[in-house]
Amino acid sequence: MSSSLILRSTVPRSFRAVSGRSALLKAVQARHASTSTTYVPGGPVYKGTVNDPTDFPPPSKSHGSYHWAFERLLSAGLVPLTAAAFVTSGSQYPVLDGLLGISLVMHSHIGFDSMLVDYLHKRKFPILGPIVTWTLRTATVGVLVGVYQFNTNDIGLTELITKVWHA
Amino acid sequence: MQTIAASLIRTQSLRPASARTFVSSASRWQAVPTQKPVLQKEFKIYRWNPDEPAKKPTLQSYTIDLNQTGPMILDALIKIKNEIDPTLTFRRSCREGICGSCAMNIGGQNTLACLCRIDRKEGKDTKIYPLPHMYIVKDLVPDLTLFYKQYKSIQPYLQNDNPPAQGEFLQSQEDRKKLDGLYECILCACCSTSCPSYWWNQDEYLGPATLMQAYRWIADSRDSYGAQRKEKLQNEFSLYRCHTIFNCSRTCPKGLNPAAAIAKIKLELAAD
Repeated sequence: MSSSLILRSTVPRSFRAVSGRSALLKAVQARHASTSTTYVPGGPVYKGTVNDPTDFPPPSKSHGSYHWAFERLLSAGLVPLTAAAFVTSGSQYPVLDGLLGISLVMHSHIGFDSMLVDYLHKRKFPILGPIVTWTLRTATVGVLVGVYQFNTNDIGLTELITKVWHA
Repeated sequence: MQTIAASLIRTQSLRPASARTFVSSASRWQAVPTQKPVLQKEFKIYRWNPDEPAKKPTLQSYTIDLNQTGPMILDALIKIKNEIDPTLTFRRSCREGICGSCAMNIGGQNTLACLCRIDRKEGKDTKIYPLPHMYIVKDLVPDLTLFYKQYKSIQPYLQNDNPPAQGEFLQSQEDRKKLDGLYECILCACCSTSCPSYWWNQDEYLGPATLMQAYRWIADSRDSYGAQRKEKLQNEFSLYRCHTIFNCSRTCPKGLNPAAAIAKIKLELAAD
């Protein structure tokens, strides 16, 4: 596994275009200038000379520490919420049921979003990146609406899991 | 000195002839040191030559006698370069784990060749690759330009607008203790190149080595630019692409813990 990774990463880029997979990759991944390097065949082109430091994106707490703290608090909060849903019944405590639904969806949205930033960021995938990001956002909103409908008009999340568990 | 020499001559002349033949018998004269058994070991080493860019990188096999080699991987590499293939290229300098030049991927683990013992198991080859997911200059030499540019970007030097009126910056013993486990880093890049997040996003993510040095200057009581240093990291990429994978702490050949330093930066940023 590791050997193939290394082999792939170090083969000069221009020779990779021969295989079909690389041709597909090229079509999807239009190589674009990023903040510190330009993606070109054969290796990186650094911004400035080799003695210039790399630069930082503009500081933004909502992308930095606030995002991180919210994500961690949400993850920690899900533990007692799940435990509470276990011991109580969803139909008696609809607020708890709703809270669990929202937290779970937010938690998975942040998780998926983190994957997209890692692997399909728009600086490397200028076409595919925004498409998947907006697909995720649409899906999250859709699921939130669905959970709301399900909790208000049907048996609710906790009851459903109980039923499936005992089925 | 002269008296000792004189006494030696005297005792030799006094010794009977039979004793002399016993000491310098024919077999004694012709004795050869005991030959160690031959312990052949195969090394498979990554080769890529920039002069032949069309040729794909290959693993080249070298077999050497471990009993005629030093104990470390670096000894084997030097022996191969000296005796078998002078075109084999790698960085090395201090051969004692303080310069960080000979960082490479040995048996699937990033480490320093000079600190990594050769596995003496017979019939088992050892594979040596350059640091993973870096551009390669030649054979085992990776291009660390971006790594150094990133290190420079965190301003790894003391910044303080109010130096003491005379003498040097003073620091309490507790404050000095905070720097232990941080300042020992030799920037060999083993940790950064073992980090999957750094593999995928190294153009933006700083990586464990650089982040640990960032924390080394944030934690320093003599530095007064902590707030500015922290503000720089307030974005999606520079710091927060760390997903606590811990490959950095596991692989560090100096036994340091970059993951802990990154966790402390995150905590300080969250408490800001």
